[in-house]
Amino acid sequence: MTGKPKVAICWLGGCGGCDEAVVDLNEVLLTVADAVDIVLWPIALDFKYDHVKAMADGEITLSIINGNVRNSEQEEVAKLLRKKSQIVLAFGACACFGGTPGMANFRSKEDIFNWVYKDAPTVNNPNGVFPQPVSNVDKKELTLPAFHESVKSLNQVIDVDYYLPGCPPPTDLIAHAVTATLENKLPMKGSSLAPHKALCDSCPRNSTKPQKIKLTEIKRIHEIEAKPDICFLAQGVLCMGIATRDGCGHNCIDINLPCRGCFGPVEGVRDAGIKMISTLAAIIDAETDKDIEKITEQIIDMAGYNFRFSLPSSMFGSLKNPE
Amino acid sequence: MNKPKIVCFSCKFSWSYLADESKLAAEISNWIPIICAGKIDAEYLVDAFLHGADGVLILGCPEGDCHYQDGNIETKKRLALLRQALAVYNIEPERIRLVLARDPEGKDIPGHIEEMAKAIGQLGKIKTAKA
Repeated sequence: MTGKPKVAICWLGGCGGCDEAVVDLNEVLLTVADAVDIVLWPIALDFKYDHVKAMADGEITLSIINGNVRNSEQEEVAKLLRKKSQIVLAFGACACFGGTPGMANFRSKEDIFNWVYKDAPTVNNPNGVFPQPVSNVDKKELTLPAFHESVKSLNQVIDVDYYLPGCPPPTDLIAHAVTATLENKLPMKGSSLAPHKALCDSCPRNSTKPQKIKLTEIKRIHEIEAKPDICFLAQGVLCMGIATRDGCGHNCIDINLPCRGCFGPVEGVRDAGIKMISTLAAIIDAETDKDIEKITEQIIDMAGYNFRFSLPSSMFGSLKNPE
Repeated sequence: MNKPKIVCFSCKFSWSYLADESKLAAEISNWIPIICAGKIDAEYLVDAFLHGADGVLILGCPEGDCHYQDGNIETKKRLALLRQALAVYNIEPERIRLVLARDPEGKDIPGHIEEMAKAIGQLGKIKTAKA
């Protein structure tokens, strides 16, 4: 044993983008790798869960966990890492809020299975075979992780110490989070290791925002030729920046796409999607029922838009919780 | 279903400002007088449903007569957006009702609640919300 702090990096219900973001640390990663012992990183290194199980409780200094929890395997790994770690960092939008796969919570598990294994036009499943947690083939028992009723954010399954949102989190905040842990300079438990204000605060287009935004029509980004340096809302394009935490580095804004909200709510706000509804209402320029309807009906999929990254952890998402 | 639970928010500038508030509050359950209908964040309404409300009634100033100029209009826009979002869970638009009028003594508040409860009774319980 080297006596260096131990770090685990693990993905649950994620796409791998968060692991890629860690790799994107480039030479900083080499410095980090010198300073710590990486004890688990399924996407990059060949350690097994049994190695972790053999460790003493709390032996891992920091577990960086990305992805949400949708099945029993992900839940088991999350609980194992919690037990063995002093600090758990929920890494990325999926771990922090449920992420885009969390939109599956608009549907029930049954609906999803029926579509994927039966009703979708490309499915050919005459025997109606559905995946089962346990099945017997040739007198052998085969198992699959059980699919839970809903997608959960990490803190709905285990106690989480810190949050680093983003899809994926940007390298500067990752480096800051790891350094702060190693140097014992972390803020209060439960904090997000990201700026507190809304994205508009640092948006390069902020200076073009009129004193009062007045939306008279709402366009989707592909319906207009968006000007590359003007506030999206001033152009009639919905941008979640007004209700989303700053810190992403404006990756979407810089390629002329509006903010979709991957950094979640700003400090002190419970539900970014609901705040977006209140904020959006304030900038819609209409008074009569007819005019209000004319503008609001231009928003396609209001719930999907506002809760793209945050449905499982949101108040709104709690309106439908099958478990 | 049992009698539907209605949460009622009422603006203090047009509703019940001459009434004995504590007496009226004893008569009406889940009644929340507030400073302006425009104060009602969409979060309050979702919270009400999460706490078991079957419907939410908002009483604001008559159109063109908001003490803060346009708080009632702001609420109207907010409700339009929220109803649209709630549709994804099949929560009917009728479960949120906005009445813009004036009633200094608050005599009509129980009647408005009763009327809404009757309409919500027809809809039954919210099927997807936690009770």
